[in-house]
Amino acid sequence: MRTEKSRLIQIAILTALGLAAALSLALPQLLRGERDAQLLSLSVMLRDTDSSGWTVARQGMEQAADELGAELRFLTLTAAGDSEEQEALLLREIEDGAAALVVVPADPAALSAALDPWLVVCPTVTLESPMEGAAGVVSPDNALLGQELARALLEDWDGGEVLLLDTAGRCAGVADRLEAAAEALAAEGIPARRAPELPEDAPRWVMAFEPLATQRAAERREAEGRDYTLYGVGSAPAVTAHLERGNIAAIAAWSDYAAGYLAVRRAVNAVRGTGGTPTPLPFFILREEDIYAPENQKLLFPIMSSSSR
Amino acid sequence: MSFFRRLAAQWGERYHRMSIQMVLSLSFTAVAAAGMLLMSVSLIWRFSSANEQLVAENSRRVLAQANLNLDSYLRRMMRISDTVYYRTIKNMDLAEDDLTGDLSLLYEENRDDLVSLAVFDGEGGLVSAVPLTALKRDAETADSDWFRSASQSMENLHFSTPHVQNIFDDPDYPYRWVVSLSRHVQLTRDGATEGGVLLVDMSFSGIEQVCRDVTLGSGGYLYLIDGDGELIYHPRQQLIYAGLLEENNQAAAEYRDGSRQETFQGQTRQVTVKTVGYTGWKLVGVAPAANWFAASPQLPLFGLTLLLFSIFLMAFLNFLISARISDPILRLERSIRELDKGLANVKIEEGGCYEVQRLSHAVASMVSTMRHLMDDIVRQEGQKRRSELEVLQSQINPHFLYNTLDSVIWMTESGQHQEAIQMVTSLARLFRISLSKGKSIIPLADELEHARHYMNIQQIRYKNKFTTEIEAGPGTEGLYTLKLIIQPLLENAIYHGCAAEDDGVIRVAAYREGEDLLIDVEDNGLGMRPELAASLLEEDRPEVRTRGSGIGVRNVHQRVSLTFGEGYGLTIFSEPDEGTLVRIRLPALDREAAERRRQGEDL
Repeated sequence: MRTEKSRLIQIAILTALGLAAALSLALPQLLRGERDAQLLSLSVMLRDTDSSGWTVARQGMEQAADELGAELRFLTLTAAGDSEEQEALLLREIEDGAAALVVVPADPAALSAALDPWLVVCPTVTLESPMEGAAGVVSPDNALLGQELARALLEDWDGGEVLLLDTAGRCAGVADRLEAAAEALAAEGIPARRAPELPEDAPRWVMAFEPLATQRAAERREAEGRDYTLYGVGSAPAVTAHLERGNIAAIAAWSDYAAGYLAVRRAVNAVRGTGGTPTPLPFFILREEDIYAPENQKLLFPIMSSSSR
Repeated sequence: MSFFRRLAAQWGERYHRMSIQMVLSLSFTAVAAAGMLLMSVSLIWRFSSANEQLVAENSRRVLAQANLNLDSYLRRMMRISDTVYYRTIKNMDLAEDDLTGDLSLLYEENRDDLVSLAVFDGEGGLVSAVPLTALKRDAETADSDWFRSASQSMENLHFSTPHVQNIFDDPDYPYRWVVSLSRHVQLTRDGATEGGVLLVDMSFSGIEQVCRDVTLGSGGYLYLIDGDGELIYHPRQQLIYAGLLEENNQAAAEYRDGSRQETFQGQTRQVTVKTVGYTGWKLVGVAPAANWFAASPQLPLFGLTLLLFSIFLMAFLNFLISARISDPILRLERSIRELDKGLANVKIEEGGCYEVQRLSHAVASMVSTMRHLMDDIVRQEGQKRRSELEVLQSQINPHFLYNTLDSVIWMTESGQHQEAIQMVTSLARLFRISLSKGKSIIPLADELEHARHYMNIQQIRYKNKFTTEIEAGPGTEGLYTLKLIIQPLLENAIYHGCAAEDDGVIRVAAYREGEDLLIDVEDNGLGMRPELAASLLEEDRPEVRTRGSGIGVRNVHQRVSLTFGEGYGLTIFSEPDEGTLVRIRLPALDREAAERRRQGEDL
């Protein structure tokens, strides 16, 4: 009886050792299979027709994709802010097997409704505006940004009405900035009005809340020789150049490179079920004299071999 | 401490309960596994150490090559600076000549590596510059780091950290990352010398290219810092600038040239530092310890597989060897256990190694001796029993002989010669059958004849007070019986049944019943109560000496039972005043069976 028990124990030990040896032999194959399966296909969609303003963000995205084993497909709209086209394109991407989406939503509410059934299987990370059901948003604290930009204006303000360029459309992130700035100005008793475009009789103080609107307002100021004081957002080279030339008094800037990198990392993490909640991007209020401070150089002028020539 | 004692006690108890094979195999396997584990750890440690040295050596070699390339690149920039200074500025009076032409030539020759060439006076005013020829309106040249460094330390050339060159007026407002090489120069204007600064803006991409193409392998990378630890190049520079990544560059600035290990953000890594000549910059090679095996990522797993397989093989062999050692011991133990249970014919196997063979042999020898001793005892018991029987049989002779001879004497004296002759003849015949060549089992016919002669003698002695009828039934021919079993019963029948009467009848009938032979001895004498008749055969009944031969019924019963077993023997049927029937039950032995039984008795 005892001998039988001993033999059973021995067989159990031998079986366990044999299985462990076989498993350790098969493990590399299993791991390799797992690694191969980790290559993710991500689709990136902007809300503009021109992606030149997102060049730096794209570099950050590519860096993250390279590090995390993902491949990116960039898509642009034929008409800026066309939320329907954006929805259609994104649904097509999901059907084509995109593992995750990185989107600058033209209309977060509508996009959320359109993608709702798919958001569970295809995590979506947004830039600029939060979206219901999304795996996260990568943007500065929009309300705080609006307040800080208004505070920059208040430092210079010496009377007169402020024009708030309402180019947000249905873009919630931009709208948040505008609303927060409007509240900050109202709190100080500063008269302000909103306009979708820069009117001919623009007041002395103008605030824009998205990079493209800021760039256009600055271009008009320079081209038409107008004398309004412009406060805007963005860190694209064109915006920075206008800040340096004095066409913009102050900008709220953040690292587009970091935004792009974090958006892709967040999307990959959402697919793999890792990572936590993203924190708002830090932003800075910069004036002309701050541009070439060493830390701001790193923020505003990303090192890129092609651009250094 | 008590925990360890308890543990030791538990193991001790378990050890006592384990089989020898389990103890052997587990002990061997544990020792072998521990040895192999130790050897593996030692090998891994040695491999790791050798790999670390290899990585360090590789890093040093790569860094030396990168340093050579970087040094070559920087020397080319310094040569440009020297050329501008010693061949152009030194030979030129700014009041009369224009530097721009010479600067343009140099710029064109090296435009892949240069962003701008410029000469400034001591106040930061632009003397000449290419390709952009004008400064920005609010350019603060004199406040620039490169300008101040050159002005403060006039003997040296100064390399700045990467920065965006923003002093030149460019309508496109591009930004250019440069590394500025500045030096103090002596400008000649109207024959008088004055201080100035020569600026050579090297394209950052030139340095980036030199560093980017360097691969350390095993997940390693290289970065470049200045003497204060400021990053000049890093493969993930923009992530660091964006605050998404950190590098241990400040600590690396303090390192001397060579390799060392550092722990940064919980990661152990090997850092190799090489100082770039003249500039004070440092090339830093980083090889994460976790990736030292990256060249062969399956190596640790392969090592683990080898280790596990070795342990498996060792355990298998141990189990086999221990089984081979212990199986003979187990078989021996099993045999002894069977012996202990009293099983006969247990074979003691003599297998296994020398000591076990010796042990088995000793046990087998002991068992054999024991068996012989037991056989001897059995034989001695048989002999003793036979002796007792013989004694019982011999008890008949003296008493009966005395009485018979006394009768013969009496008859001879009284002239009854014929009766005396008959008696003596019967006596002779009786004794011849009694002897039967010493055999205890004799033909039934002889036994009946023996009874008949006995009754002849007794009838003469008792003056024919009773008659005797002896008959053998059909099927009893050729059967055998135990010797002298009827005569004691006849003796009893005479003394207890018919001696006192004149019309006594004693019948002896032998007949077959199935496989048994039955011999009835019946008289019509006084008889007895059935209870008394039944008690006559009880063993614990006190010996009752009777008249006659002195052999009782019980002795016959014991002889039959001892010879043929419990199922055989005597049965007494009796009723007062009616007579007694004593029935002898024997196995119906034919000649062969009788012969076999005789041989058994002889053994």
